[in-house]
Amino acid sequence: MAAATAAPVRRRTPRATSAIPRGVTRLLWIELRRNAMPWILPLIAALFWFDSYRPSTGTAQLYGLRTFWNMGQGHTIIDFGPFVAGVAAWMGSRDGRRGLADLVTATGRPRWAAQLATWAATAIWAVAAYLVFVGVMFAWYAHQGVGGTPPWWWVAVGATAVTAFSAAGFAIGAYWPSRFAAPVAAFGGFLAMAMSSQTGFSHASGWAQILPTNSNGNFDQIDSGIFYPWLPDLPIARIMFLAGIAVAALGLTGLPARAGGPWLRRAAAVVTLAGVASAGIAVGLASSARLSAHGMVIPALHGAANDAPVTYTPACGHAAGVPVCLNPAYRRWLPDVNAALAPVLAEAAGLPGAPGRATQVAAAYPSGGSGPPQVITLGGHPPVLRMSLGQLDMPGPCGFAAAPWPRNCLPGSYGWRSPMPSRARAAAPAARCSRPCRPRCCEVPGYRSPRSLGCWPPPRTGQDPRRDRRPGRSTQRPGGSPPCRPRPGAPGSPFIWPRCGPAGSP
Amino acid sequence: MNVDITDLTRRFGRTQAVAGVSLQAGAGVFGLLGPNGAGKTSLLRMMATVLPPTSGRLRLLDRDAGSYAPRREIRRRLGYLPQNLGYYPGFTVAEFVEYFALLKDMPPGRVPRAVAAAIEQVGLGDKARAKLGTLSGGMLRRAGIAQAIVNGPELLLLDEPTAGLDPEQRVAFRALLRDLGQRATVIVSTHLVEDVGAACTEVALMDAGKVVFHGTPDELIARGEGTGAAGDAPLERGYSAVLAAARSTTAVA
Repeated sequence: MAAATAAPVRRRTPRATSAIPRGVTRLLWIELRRNAMPWILPLIAALFWFDSYRPSTGTAQLYGLRTFWNMGQGHTIIDFGPFVAGVAAWMGSRDGRRGLADLVTATGRPRWAAQLATWAATAIWAVAAYLVFVGVMFAWYAHQGVGGTPPWWWVAVGATAVTAFSAAGFAIGAYWPSRFAAPVAAFGGFLAMAMSSQTGFSHASGWAQILPTNSNGNFDQIDSGIFYPWLPDLPIARIMFLAGIAVAALGLTGLPARAGGPWLRRAAAVVTLAGVASAGIAVGLASSARLSAHGMVIPALHGAANDAPVTYTPACGHAAGVPVCLNPAYRRWLPDVNAALAPVLAEAAGLPGAPGRATQVAAAYPSGGSGPPQVITLGGHPPVLRMSLGQLDMPGPCGFAAAPWPRNCLPGSYGWRSPMPSRARAAAPAARCSRPCRPRCCEVPGYRSPRSLGCWPPPRTGQDPRRDRRPGRSTQRPGGSPPCRPRPGAPGSPFIWPRCGPAGSP
Repeated sequence: MNVDITDLTRRFGRTQAVAGVSLQAGAGVFGLLGPNGAGKTSLLRMMATVLPPTSGRLRLLDRDAGSYAPRREIRRRLGYLPQNLGYYPGFTVAEFVEYFALLKDMPPGRVPRAVAAAIEQVGLGDKARAKLGTLSGGMLRRAGIAQAIVNGPELLLLDEPTAGLDPEQRVAFRALLRDLGQRATVIVSTHLVEDVGAACTEVALMDAGKVVFHGTPDELIARGEGTGAAGDAPLERGYSAVLAAARSTTAVA
């Protein structure tokens, strides 16, 4: 007892690890309260409204179309990036501009840590604003009944891009503490976005896929998020690229002698190299990307689970007594589809192989106008007419398939207007053959798009339904079937039922 | 010795700002006098560990300022008021002082009380919530002093601390200096010899990068007696006499 009483009381020294985060948190709170970023947010909000949200409302109520402009072409990033870079440069140059560099350097905390706190506050404001703006936009889309699922991966890409812009701008300001750093960084950001867009327009594949405003990719497949999930492959590569840029830029700010001690500067060098490596690897991954029916696939990043189709309960109606089923995202167009199909199905009723059901399948469009065309197929027992709404000039193809599409079918500023009349116009010169079809497909003369209507009756087993539908094949093949001959369609029906037979036959 | 400087030099290109200065200082208020361009600010910046010396040895608070880990320890125990104090116009006085308290690695639990005390000490208690951009030059200077003393520094470096202060504040500031000098080494660089006379226990006079006088204020006053040197006050006459003697020696050499 006596020994216990005499034993010195050991006081536990407070752990530095518990104190430091509190100090950092408080530092960050002050930086958040006094950051310049909130001052620029109203301007970004206005730009976001006019440049990202408003043009998208002219497109059909499908996420793939609504977000093609603002996510696919990266307009949300364009609206944010230059301003964020400018403000970040302003914050990065603050200590130098204000003559506080000595005072900050003469403190116990490494200057790099103080700079990172300033940057973190700037980035938090920018990324939070980005997420809020996009969230409000998506909420408004949901209120408008937009179908499908939002492209969350692309939101993550945008948020990472905003982070990268803030880091790059901050590094410019830290290295060049001048009042001109902010406008120079903002203009540089704008220039980078412009070059990214221009390169994106001309490069549908290869390394350019990594550019954040390159719309070639998942947005080529308009039924992403409807029939199958948005593929994360390309977004992951872009996140790697943009995060690499951000990390490298932040690492650069830790390299000068004033930033901290030798180990800290070595750590900054390692961070910089890691960022560069991440960006380089991402470029390499993007170079291996290929367009699949579900979107852009990067073999090294691709997960088979992402190929699993989205399960859904179809929205069904009837056209001429035949059930017509669509993905619920397209529910609002069911009456139009029924009206379009009804005359043709009525005409085909009773013929051998006439469809007992019509169902929507995912649209898959080739990038840049190459590759296989869209088809409507008829097959199975009992026969089922499988169609993507692209065949009917429904929202599916608008602006995403090979040119030339009617301009009023393009998204964005063109909007998607009256799909059925547009399809009817496109199909006006299309063929209607005079005799019942042989078991093969026919080309539709005068139809400029590589798309053509599919076979009916269906091809023989083993026959490639697309082979003979390529332009010129079925009409010019020696000894082949005679070309189709156009004939007027059913009155009031924009849908053309293809029948093939020798030219000139009644 | 809290300050132990041996043969310290600093060059900026062809200009030698500090030329072989050696100084020792313990607790107390140490005045650093000299004309413009004498090298006072460069010497203070080296002591603040923000400007590496070209050559020489710099030991502060019994630590070698040349190595990073000791330098960081020095910085934790340091208070520094630069000659041209910048400020963040959007920060309030309290935020500004708290910001630097946190940068000085003070334990977060101690910060709020330390910030309030520092602000009170410089007489800005009623302006604690005012933004720096709305303050006058003198008030900004006092906010700068508050951030310098917030961590209870063992070594306090003040470059022209009384510039812009009104007479009442200067008197109060001298009292504060004397109080701080009881437990810390306070080095005050100034043009105003009356500040030195009122607050300093030791004084060094620099000219052309060299220390030309090191002693007590009384010794400096004694140097001016009977020399006919210019000046309205005894300390000013001592200052002028020492400078004149140093320059004549340099000219002869």
